[in-house]
Amino acid sequence: MSKLIFLFDLDSTVTREEILPAIANRFGIFEQMRQVTESTMKGEIPFKQSFLQRVELLKNIPVSEVCQLVSGIKLNEKVVEFIQKNKSRCYIVTGNLDIWIKGLIEKIGMESHTFCSSALVRDDYLQDVISIVDKNAVVSQMLLPFVAVGDGNNDAEMIEAAEIGIGYGGVRNIAPSILSCASHAVYSEERLVEFLQRLI
Amino acid sequence: MSNISRTVIISCAGMGNRLGLGSTKALVEVEGKPLIIRHLEMLDGEKDVRVVVGYQAEKVIEVVKQYRKDILFVFNHNYRSTGTGASVALAARYANKYILSLDGDLLIHPEDMKRILEYDGEFVSGGVPDSDDPWMLQTYEENGKEYVSAFSKNAGSYEWNGITQIQSAKMLSGTGHVFQMVETYLPLPFMELRTREIDTINDYERAVNWVRNHYSDEQV
Repeated sequence: MSKLIFLFDLDSTVTREEILPAIANRFGIFEQMRQVTESTMKGEIPFKQSFLQRVELLKNIPVSEVCQLVSGIKLNEKVVEFIQKNKSRCYIVTGNLDIWIKGLIEKIGMESHTFCSSALVRDDYLQDVISIVDKNAVVSQMLLPFVAVGDGNNDAEMIEAAEIGIGYGGVRNIAPSILSCASHAVYSEERLVEFLQRLI
Repeated sequence: MSNISRTVIISCAGMGNRLGLGSTKALVEVEGKPLIIRHLEMLDGEKDVRVVVGYQAEKVIEVVKQYRKDILFVFNHNYRSTGTGASVALAARYANKYILSLDGDLLIHPEDMKRILEYDGEFVSGGVPDSDDPWMLQTYEENGKEYVSAFSKNAGSYEWNGITQIQSAKMLSGTGHVFQMVETYLPLPFMELRTREIDTINDYERAVNWVRNHYSDEQV
């Protein structure tokens, strides 16, 4: 057995659809969300700014409603199965907010294995964002070698620092910054999980 | 098809400067079809196929994944300063017991590809000398089987074509040529194959004629 730890981006890696755009779609603000998301993927807006802009778009929706919708988001079932089977060595590293992904993370069973951004809630509405996860800071804490899987610009540093850094393009295109530093790229969920099994 | 545990590695990271077609060699089209797709069409039954990308990586990935989704792409970001050996070493990590290593800029006779895929053990391959500056294979016979004993610039009966099937554990480190990594493990069984390498524009024209002629060397 290897000593590798596995770090997974949540959005479009563990999930089969993009979380915030899917939520925006239900509330009729998909177009605004799409614009911000696309510029982020292209690397035109830093993740922090873009994330705060996207939070702004969703802050007038009760937190409980967002959380419930996020819990129902479609998942890459084979990736989830791998994570659950190897839970002690797997972590989710996401920029998304704790208050929104709580239900989803519980559903997967990764409550104590998730690094995410956090926010304050008052009367079921988002009051303030407390912190935005810095994936680079998360991986700098790791003492064991790790595998990182993701697709967005904010995953680039963790993928570059990884022993095995995998760009996953099964849901949306892999960001160019990932392609320039990843050790591997894969476009089918089955193939991703097949390769991860080899690293156990 | 043989039942050995095999990973197929296709090296497509190089730049192909000498060809002057402005495209990495694996994407060069022969009779309307890129070389890399010609390889993949013959590898449909292989489960673990890895394509090493570097120069024009995104373009290669785009073309490959249109044809087949379940490919593992391996990056050789140092393609400018390293040889195919580095690409193979990167792709041989976490591979099956054997790797079959092929260059993306090679045309292989379809019947010979079948023979490769039916072959169970290690081999080093060559063919009739054909290019301007070849590495040659020196071979000897023992009990009716032919073995490769050395790679040489000066002498040998066959031209090395870059194709080898060898245990992956033997190929995990190297930055130069594939044959330099294989050399340590000689002698190895020899397999003669009909291939065309595409290095120059003359090679390219010959390769096109070869395919047009249904892989026959006879002049039409």
